[in-house]
Amino acid sequence: MSLLTPAIEVTDMVKDFRVYHRTFASLKSHAAALAKTLVRRESHTGFETRRALNGVSFSVGHGEAVALVGRNGSGKSTLLSILSRIYLPTSGEARLNGRMMSLLELGAGFDGELTGNQNIFFNGVILGLSEDAVAARYDAILEFAELDRQAMDLPVRMYSSGMQLRLGFAIAVHLDAEILLIDEGLAVGDEGFQEKCFAKIEEFKTQGKTILMVTHELDHIERLADRVLWLDKGVLMRDGGVDEVLAEYRQGYAHG
Amino acid sequence: MNSSKPTLSIVPTSGWQAINLPELWQFRDLLTTLAQRDVKLRYRQTSLGVLWVILQPLLAAGIFSFVFGKVAKLPAPDGIPYLVFSYAGLLAWNAFSSTLTKTSSCLLQNANLVSKVYFPRLALPLSTVFSTLIDFGVAFVVMIVLMLVNHIAPTLGILLLPVWLLLIVLLALGVGLYASALMVSYRDIQYVLPVVTQFLLYASPVAYAAALVPAKYRLIFEINPLTGLLEAFRWSLLGTGHFPLAAVSYSAIITVVVFVAGAFSFKAMERKFADVI
Repeated sequence: MSLLTPAIEVTDMVKDFRVYHRTFASLKSHAAALAKTLVRRESHTGFETRRALNGVSFSVGHGEAVALVGRNGSGKSTLLSILSRIYLPTSGEARLNGRMMSLLELGAGFDGELTGNQNIFFNGVILGLSEDAVAARYDAILEFAELDRQAMDLPVRMYSSGMQLRLGFAIAVHLDAEILLIDEGLAVGDEGFQEKCFAKIEEFKTQGKTILMVTHELDHIERLADRVLWLDKGVLMRDGGVDEVLAEYRQGYAHG
Repeated sequence: MNSSKPTLSIVPTSGWQAINLPELWQFRDLLTTLAQRDVKLRYRQTSLGVLWVILQPLLAAGIFSFVFGKVAKLPAPDGIPYLVFSYAGLLAWNAFSSTLTKTSSCLLQNANLVSKVYFPRLALPLSTVFSTLIDFGVAFVVMIVLMLVNHIAPTLGILLLPVWLLLIVLLALGVGLYASALMVSYRDIQYVLPVVTQFLLYASPVAYAAALVPAKYRLIFEINPLTGLLEAFRWSLLGTGHFPLAAVSYSAIITVVVFVAGAFSFKAMERKFADVI
């Protein structure tokens, strides 16, 4: 647990996805393919491989805030999902030193049918807290989310995206994680709440917590990040200071 | 504040994996939370609500006792009213079929969780057992009422009832775990399973006594591990038939094998869930 070991260490990360084409000319070929599929439990003909990450290596030190940029489909979210333990890599390794918490999608880990109150417990427990630990944080979460009591008794499916963000972010920041992975989290809140989230992230930085975030809002990056990683087509193009990488990224983007 | 800094290494895995029991224990509150959600949400927007837990087996037992008892004029053993006899069978059958139905569909139904949040996947199928057991408990109260009204006193054999219930649930879990993992890649399973379940309902001694099956079909009939368990269940509850020692031992062995195989196949297929779902 020395501070000399990086908080996040990614080595030669490769991730392939299989894209299946299930179009069969005839019922007979369909049956043949199905038989093969059932026998071998996977089809060796009906898919092609799409490489989402191609040998990505980097490390993030404790207390660093790093932003991932890149156009859609560049592998940012895949990378964050691997670090969040949703996908396993095809090859390579990721090491996380410290308790990790990820906020991959607005309302991920909510059940739309449960009320806001019930979802604080549902989401907290699914993210790895005990019920007692959620209960201990309950008031702080409510206070951070600033949702009125009436809203907390409504099913979350009736919430606006801003309200869901408030609740999701409030739960996420109260998990006592040392490493935070955030995917596009901050874009939907109103200005007041965004400001609050920024303040919280800055507070985390002063506490030595590590943040890796994916965002398309370059001004958020300029404000919060110490470093920027630029991914393109699954390859790490640049890894460096905010100003230099963003300048190149803007230029690369303009030349498309 | 948690001062320990665990190191986590994320690397590709392949083949058979051990089941991470310490992690499952660490997430034990997740099991109860998922179970609570299950119970809370199940009968929302129904006007009769929890009553369905009782009505569903009662109605089915009513139909069985009319079709099998009155129309086909099958005898229920030891002069027990056909309604009571078939209700007892359905009690055990519902524990099986509801465990199987819930566990097999749990990954697809929670696709948004599986693809966005990390947690031990095994918690999803395991948590469904709670609500099945609650249903069983409620329906069992009606069983007791039916027995009281019909002056049927349980024998000492009733002490073994939890054992049969456990085996029935484990058997269903084993099949359900395998089916749920397979269903992620092959949605066909969700159409096949109801047909298989329907078949099993009539191929197992739920609505009739195993003793009525002709001797020449006996062997095929008893390959089905449910046969021994259902007969043992009813023997424990109503004292019907004799204790089917050989059939039950066979069922117990098959159950353990199916459960262990189901759990490990689930674990082996688990790493693909998020990629495919």
